[in-house]
Amino acid sequence: MSSAAKSIKKLFSQYKVLALGLAIVFIWTFFGYMTMTDEGSAFLTSRNFSNLMRQMAITGMLACGMVFVIIAGEIDLSVGSLLGLLGGLAAVLDATYKVPVAGTVAIVCFAGVLVGLLNGYWVSYLRVPSFIVGLAGMLAFRGILVGITEGSTVPVESEGLIAIGQAYLPAKIGYLLALILFGLLAFIMLRTRANRAKYNLTVDPMWQDGMKLALTGALIFGFVHTLESYQGVPVPVLVVLVIAGVFSFMANSTVFGRRIYAIGSNLEATRLSGVNVQFVKMAIFGIMGLMCAFAGLTTTARLASGSPSAGNMGELDAIASCFIGGTSMRGGSGTISGALIGALIMTSLDNGMSMLGVETFWQMIVKGSILLLAVWVDVMSGSNER
Amino acid sequence: MSEYLLDMRGIVKEFSGVKALDGISLQVRAGECVGLCGENGAGKSTLMKVLSAVYPHGTWDGQIFWEGKELKARTIRETEDAGIVIIHQELMLVPQLSVAENIFMGNEITLPGGRMNYSAMYQRAEALMHELKMPDINVALPVMHYGGGHQQLIEIAKALNKKAKLLILDEPTSSLTKSETQILLNIIKDLKKKGVACVMISHKLDEIAEVCDTISVIRDGTHVGTRPMSGMDTNEIITMMVGREIKNLFPREEHPIGEVVFEAKHVTCYDVNNPQRKRVDDVSFQLRKGEILGVAGLVGAGRTELAMAIFGCYAGHHSLEMTLEGKTIQVKTPKDAVEQGICMVPEDRKRHGIVPLMGVGHNITISTLPNYAKHGSIDAEAEMHTIQQSIARMRIKTATPLLQIRGLSGGNQQKAVVSKMLLPSPKVLILDEPTRGVDVGAKYEIYKLMFELVKQGLSIIMISSELPEVLGISDRVLVMGEGKLRGDFVNQGLTQEQVLTAALGQSDHPLAA
Repeated sequence: MSSAAKSIKKLFSQYKVLALGLAIVFIWTFFGYMTMTDEGSAFLTSRNFSNLMRQMAITGMLACGMVFVIIAGEIDLSVGSLLGLLGGLAAVLDATYKVPVAGTVAIVCFAGVLVGLLNGYWVSYLRVPSFIVGLAGMLAFRGILVGITEGSTVPVESEGLIAIGQAYLPAKIGYLLALILFGLLAFIMLRTRANRAKYNLTVDPMWQDGMKLALTGALIFGFVHTLESYQGVPVPVLVVLVIAGVFSFMANSTVFGRRIYAIGSNLEATRLSGVNVQFVKMAIFGIMGLMCAFAGLTTTARLASGSPSAGNMGELDAIASCFIGGTSMRGGSGTISGALIGALIMTSLDNGMSMLGVETFWQMIVKGSILLLAVWVDVMSGSNER
Repeated sequence: MSEYLLDMRGIVKEFSGVKALDGISLQVRAGECVGLCGENGAGKSTLMKVLSAVYPHGTWDGQIFWEGKELKARTIRETEDAGIVIIHQELMLVPQLSVAENIFMGNEITLPGGRMNYSAMYQRAEALMHELKMPDINVALPVMHYGGGHQQLIEIAKALNKKAKLLILDEPTSSLTKSETQILLNIIKDLKKKGVACVMISHKLDEIAEVCDTISVIRDGTHVGTRPMSGMDTNEIITMMVGREIKNLFPREEHPIGEVVFEAKHVTCYDVNNPQRKRVDDVSFQLRKGEILGVAGLVGAGRTELAMAIFGCYAGHHSLEMTLEGKTIQVKTPKDAVEQGICMVPEDRKRHGIVPLMGVGHNITISTLPNYAKHGSIDAEAEMHTIQQSIARMRIKTATPLLQIRGLSGGNQQKAVVSKMLLPSPKVLILDEPTRGVDVGAKYEIYKLMFELVKQGLSIIMISSELPEVLGISDRVLVMGEGKLRGDFVNQGLTQEQVLTAALGQSDHPLAA
């Protein structure tokens, strides 16, 4: 292999996000070209971008939780059914019991965490393989959902609940949030530099950090600007981005996050280092449950009803997103941003192919092939070798 | 036709720009045993992987001549067909399959239709066992019924069945008892007489001296020298290996020993699979402040199980009472142990010590992470500060603290695991085989550190299978055998013979208090 090819390979295995970004550019260019008409491309419009992001939000929420589960070396197959169940619960609470929106949200989130923790308890304390626990939940939760909805769609009435899935932030608020985010990033950068200097660690040159910050800023602005030029930032998109931000912080800078990676890479060594690995595992499933609650609420709000088939195959989209995003199948490595971009790739394929009028069966075949291909590339790059 | 069976010339192997092997040559005659020595990370295993085509031809430079012809093998299968068989340090047997099935794995004798011809295989396997002077082995029993020593011999039988002309033994005795080692060495001598050549990689120089005709030393990927074994002494070999002379293998330093700080009473552990059997049988002992307590015994004596019970990680049913600094303590999990002030560096570094995908630095801070965090959020710079201090203190050789720990040599991994278990400031530190698979230089540094620690008032329990190490380091020696405490000696004028006699249960010495 030539040295240039080698260094490109190294660059990609170090910055997987870069490779994923390129994949997105490629996919968007392709659909943009294919949907080209006299008035420009139908795919590359701010309206479709806004749509795409909203579609991505639900899979994105699940993928964020799923990354932690997979990094810890487990899998959760019940999330699709749990999403449906919690979404159905929200609809029933709203329509049948007239619970106020805040109450509905609180109850659904609480139920999500509880069911997640229960899953985690089975996996981590009772030592039933997570694959089995997930499979059992997949069946049982769907069953409960069909039971409480009596097998039919439950329409949602309250505007507040629907807003969770359908509303946009007021105009220009997006710009304000972008500015705040940018300020936060700049502050973190400066503080890190100061701290590193305090402990006599090497500090990257200012221009390098500055460049990174400027690039990130441009990306944020471009993103918000595109959404603003349609109807503003959709609420679910804001939710998923906040979740992703919080989770990235958890993964990189918290004790809990570090332990997730340690457990996935070598459970025994982590346990023998004095870490309560069982509790950490259970907590991961608890978080996954909370994500199912968010995704369930968003789904119900988007459809303005609770459906007994909501979230069908949702677990597979979430898991596929993680793997496309470079999460290791054997645990121990993976990133939130990767999973989110993985979700974006899956959604882009859905959205683009629907626009082209590709039949559903072809869409499934293409998505399956892309998943296989993405993981194959990941394996070939050798970044997950042991 | 060359006079050599094997002639490796100018082997160069690079890993991402770093030369692991830099022009190494190695010659072996038929029926000759060559000892390959070098510190960990010197490139011994890499060289053997080149030879056995784990790294296929073309991924390295240089030439290999086998029986006079150039060998360009691309798969392990090709080298095995040629007669080069490698026996890895970690045995490659399937525990659930029978001895015969393991011996014939990949070379099964079959009847028409792919059915296994068991009678033929059993017959051949038994013949091989006779050849290896192990007629007692039942070749129809699963391999897991036999201990490490027997398993090593089964590996050799497997190699002989492949008509091996050259056996490569990578640290063959690292998990064997003294008597098992002797049997293995005798077999190697027998094989030599039959014309089978050997390359033996070992840290145990006395074993090399016993069976090898020639010794070849490599250091940092370069060939230091090849000499006939006769006329070499251990010190010379060590000097060649490390490139400097280590005058004293055990840097013993005087240190004061205080009052009893830790006591374990009536430790009993039952076998996980066979709850009738006691792995540790009513063992009680005391540990003083600033003391190094060596725990000696043969493999399977129950030493590791004892340590695991104290550290709260023994899987089976067990019972014990412990007092630390006069207070009774309860330890149910390793977390409890670390919080109470008992830390353990486990025996199996790869499985229990390191978190392979994480950086060296993050490995060091796993146990103490909450110390660098406010409300669960890590202060990365404070953490890095601690990491750099640890790396400097232990002299861990790593390019950066962010480097994945699996990329380090065994000695440096071990130092990182020890640093990890020192950060919680324990009162009692258990080291289970602290120098296994660690090169001479790093060993010396680990010993130095142990003395530095006991001077600061830490108490150390060191489990070791190497008697010279136990006698060279410990203040007091516990000897275990078949799960029982068979001796408790103050290490003054204690000899290897005394310890071994006690371990074998033929002790005339009364148990000291």
